[in-house]
Amino acid sequence: MVRPYGIKVNKRKERRERYDKEEDEEDEQPKFEQKRKEVKKAKREEATSNAEEEDDEENEIAEEAADELDVGIPIVVSGNKKDQTGVIFVLEKASLEVAKVGKTYQLLNSDDHANFLRKNGRDPAHYRPDITHQALLMILDSPVNKAGRLKAVYVRTEQGVLFEVKPHVRIPRTFKRFAGIMLQLLQKLSISASGKREKLMRVIKNPVTSHLPPNCRKIGFSYSSEKLVNMQKHLSTVCNETDTVFVLGAMSHGKIECDYIDDFVAISGYPLSAAYCISRICEALSTNWNII
Amino acid sequence: MGKKMKGNDKKPDKKGGRKMGAEAVAMKAKAKKVENPFELISSRRKFDVLGKKRKGEERRDGFSRSRGVDKRNNTLLKEYEQSLKSSVFVDKRIGEHDKELGEFDKGVIRSQRARQLKAKKSMYNLSDGEEDVYGDGALGEPSSARDDFDSVQLSDEDDDIDQDDSGSRRLRNRNRDSSGEEEERRKSKKEVMDEIIMKSKLGKMEKAKHKEEKEKLLEGLNEEYMSIEKSDAMKSLTQDFIVQDEPSDKYAMLMDDLRSDRRGRPTDRTKTPEEIAQEEREKLEELEEKRKKRMQETEDLSDEDEDTGGEESSKRVRVVSGDDLGDSFSVDAKHPKKGWIDEVLEREGDEDDSASDEDSGSEGEEDDDDDEDSDGGKGHSLKDWEQSDDELEAELEGDEEEEDDDDDDDDEDEDEEEAEPIVHKKSKKDSSAPSEGTVKQTTNMKKLSSTQHDIPYVIHAPQSFEELIALVENRSNADVITIVNRIRTTDSIKLAAENRKKMQVFYGILLQYFAVLANKKPLNIELLNMLVKPLIDMSGEIPYFAAICARQRLLKTRAQFCEALKNPEDGCWPSLKTLFLLRLWSMIFPCSDYRHAVMTPSILLMCEYLMRCPISSGRDIAIGSFLCSIVLLVAKQSKKFCPEAILFIRTLLMAASDKKLPPSEESEFYHFMELKTLTPFLCIQDDVKEVVPLNFLKMMDLPADSPYFSSDEFRASILSSVVETLRGFVEINGGLSSFPEIFMPISTLLHQVGNQEKIPQTLREKLEDAAELIEKKTEEHHKQRTPLAMRKQKPVAIRMVNPKFEENFAKGRDYDPDKYRSDMKKLKKKLNEERKGVVRELRKDSYFMSDVKAKEKAVHEQERAEKHGKNLAFLQEQEHAFKSGQLGKGKGSKKRKR
Repeated sequence: MVRPYGIKVNKRKERRERYDKEEDEEDEQPKFEQKRKEVKKAKREEATSNAEEEDDEENEIAEEAADELDVGIPIVVSGNKKDQTGVIFVLEKASLEVAKVGKTYQLLNSDDHANFLRKNGRDPAHYRPDITHQALLMILDSPVNKAGRLKAVYVRTEQGVLFEVKPHVRIPRTFKRFAGIMLQLLQKLSISASGKREKLMRVIKNPVTSHLPPNCRKIGFSYSSEKLVNMQKHLSTVCNETDTVFVLGAMSHGKIECDYIDDFVAISGYPLSAAYCISRICEALSTNWNII
Repeated sequence: MGKKMKGNDKKPDKKGGRKMGAEAVAMKAKAKKVENPFELISSRRKFDVLGKKRKGEERRDGFSRSRGVDKRNNTLLKEYEQSLKSSVFVDKRIGEHDKELGEFDKGVIRSQRARQLKAKKSMYNLSDGEEDVYGDGALGEPSSARDDFDSVQLSDEDDDIDQDDSGSRRLRNRNRDSSGEEEERRKSKKEVMDEIIMKSKLGKMEKAKHKEEKEKLLEGLNEEYMSIEKSDAMKSLTQDFIVQDEPSDKYAMLMDDLRSDRRGRPTDRTKTPEEIAQEEREKLEELEEKRKKRMQETEDLSDEDEDTGGEESSKRVRVVSGDDLGDSFSVDAKHPKKGWIDEVLEREGDEDDSASDEDSGSEGEEDDDDDEDSDGGKGHSLKDWEQSDDELEAELEGDEEEEDDDDDDDDEDEDEEEAEPIVHKKSKKDSSAPSEGTVKQTTNMKKLSSTQHDIPYVIHAPQSFEELIALVENRSNADVITIVNRIRTTDSIKLAAENRKKMQVFYGILLQYFAVLANKKPLNIELLNMLVKPLIDMSGEIPYFAAICARQRLLKTRAQFCEALKNPEDGCWPSLKTLFLLRLWSMIFPCSDYRHAVMTPSILLMCEYLMRCPISSGRDIAIGSFLCSIVLLVAKQSKKFCPEAILFIRTLLMAASDKKLPPSEESEFYHFMELKTLTPFLCIQDDVKEVVPLNFLKMMDLPADSPYFSSDEFRASILSSVVETLRGFVEINGGLSSFPEIFMPISTLLHQVGNQEKIPQTLREKLEDAAELIEKKTEEHHKQRTPLAMRKQKPVAIRMVNPKFEENFAKGRDYDPDKYRSDMKKLKKKLNEERKGVVRELRKDSYFMSDVKAKEKAVHEQERAEKHGKNLAFLQEQEHAFKSGQLGKGKGSKKRKR
């Protein structure tokens, strides 16, 4: 019954932390779709090459017209989305904290839980989840995101919990619902899409740099920075070759301290709110990339 | 006994545990914690959740482990130890298991227990007042602990008795009872008897008492009743009859009222159309009856002197007869009717004669128009005509036989077309062949004149055109309409189903009559106008048939038109009849339908006329402009675009302008208009004083080459009417997006025409107005037009997905909507936990046991080794002694020494 000699057998299956790994199944589908798209594209290219040979573009135009019935002369927009560079936003020091207030768990905010916070010796002024809410709304509603140039959003809370927000999440518009979602995210560690299994938000492993693409440029924003730049001009020098990471603080007071940031810049002589700062960045990005 | 004791011992333990609860455990734990800090392992939490209680945060692994070991020591180890033994020592001493008790307390309890048991067991022991002691525990022991114990013990005892020794208790109870009896027996029989007597006496006493009480109560009640009787309430009760009478009076009054009230009567209900029709018919019949009576009376009066036919006499006889079955009416009705029809038929020939005189003048002209057609139909007799007409009707009804045989069709068509001429011809024949006596004629004429104004009230629908003509001949317009109306009421469709067929035939005939009238010269426009109303009404009643009729006529007209186009010199513009029919249909059928069985072909036909007929005279222009106005009327509602009409108007305007247009610009236009002559027909040469509105009918009466058509007056009025029509078209087609392209050339034409010198002022103003209107509309259209732009390609945004989350999320709660599944999940989890726990416990047990066994073995081993060593040492010693010779020596020496 017993082994004659001891061998090292890993009896248990290797248990790694899987919470931050994406499910394989859902990966399958996009891949499949991509494949299909590629096939389509290849076909189309073939067609176009043929058309060029025959020297009539009308064929293609007619095809396009059939695709979408619109008024006006159709124009062919050549957009190769593969080699587009994107942007990533990192919100540091977001004050998202869950506490047990009374009998229920709640996301702490300075309005509703001022007394509770004071009782527990905290400063209510620091508990501002609405900043994160606004910032996320600004990022995810921007045309930059709609055009598909936003790669990801990472949020790191004051406590050090890091979570990823997919670019195609529709963040709840009201704060109460946002608080509900954050509460669930911080307890359940992931939020899935309604009706699908895809995870839209999930808590991931620190540090954030392990999730950022290699040789990307990380720009931190701080009012306290000496380097005051015009975002428009600065961007044109920065974000055309590689992906760019923008690191902002989603807190009410203080300064972000991150070791991975390449350069700290200030984009205004005035202290800006996180949401406005993001809107300015997005505006600059959209003008830079000609997204209207 | 031992078992029982064990049970007894265990129970208080458990209870004690329950009483103390978690606190006790915690206290113990605390005590231990203090003792052994190494057993305490506190786990670090990853996220410090604010507000969460830190209870149970430290895991005391060591403590729990040591507790487990203790537990096993107490249970498993003991069992193991005892498994090797055949007997068990059970410590049954009282209080031995309670560790809290001191020695003294234990002693106290024991002594107490001993006494208690002694007291209980003594079945024969008499009670001497000491029993109180165990009941209340009034021994005066100060120790509360002892109290607790006592009570618990007692209760336990009782429980045990309840459960196990219920039998013994019963026995004891019986014993008690028997002891009671023994006491009673001690009383003497006498005493018992006394007691019984006493009891009976007492019973009697009580009975008597009860009786008295009852009586008293009765009296009281009586008195009360009397008092009540005298009171008002009782009176009211006794006098209830009177009281009831009063309301009954009211009730009776009300009843009377209600009885005398008139019941609501239903009003006359609204009548159905059928009933109305029936009523109308009845009314007419009555009137007819009266009329006939009157007629006969006059006849009677006139013929009184002469003895008239047997009919009258028989009638009289019948009136006299008392056994009349009431048949007289029908006989009466039949005869005069017959007489009337005969009369009419007789009259027919004469009337036709007279009519033919009048018509003969105009016939010539008509013949000019319809010469070719009428040639074929000349041979037809009256019978033929009737037959073919019937056939036509049948065919129309059948609807599908249209394409049967062309010959027949043609014949019929011709027949219908030539209805009027045939009639005339026939009448001619009639008049020529059977020439009747002049005397008779005159009498007939006299009769006619006398009856001319009384039209029969009940007229059945004529079955042929002939009959209708006979009916209508020589009547005034109003009379004709009355006749038509009466026919319609008599044979109303609503009255009977078969009337539908009759009415259909009548409709066809009436339409034919209309057409014939329209072709007559001089034109009886008044009658035509009056005929329109019944025709429209009837089409409403039989829409399907009306549509078929119209279509047939249209088809035929179109065929004729095609024929006529082959030699355009004869003039292929439609006749007045066709125009009137077209106008009639535009009134009968809805013009606004997108597609209509009649209106669509009729519009097409009109447009074709406008397009293909060459303009060769002023008359043609008049007809064309009239057609344009009809087209305008038709297109007004649906706002259809009729390019032919507009082109025609444009051609007229071009004909009006004196300048030659630059041909290059409008070459294609000319191509379309190849048939039209572009001579300046309408160019006004001289001054015209005033523009008079045209009388179309008058114009139509004029011959094509009449000088009027080349007069400037005619030109001016035609121009003005054309401009009016044009304005109508501009209004209608104002919404077309190609409006400027269509109408701008016309506006320039208008300007050209208006700038001519000879144009009268009013006409010029009109022209300018129209041009202005066109320009204004064009301007608007130009304003609305936007330049062609590149297609705006909306960028496609990425698809956003809503996250799913719960309101009031609580960690650990299953948010599965399927309750069963979530429950199963929960149960499975619990089962898994339990299983794991059991496995863990078992594993620990086995570890423990193996440990114990190993220890035992080690002890054995050690013992054995010790023994072995000892023995070995002994042997060695002996050997050593033997070898050294000390064995003997020593002994000997010792012995020696001793």
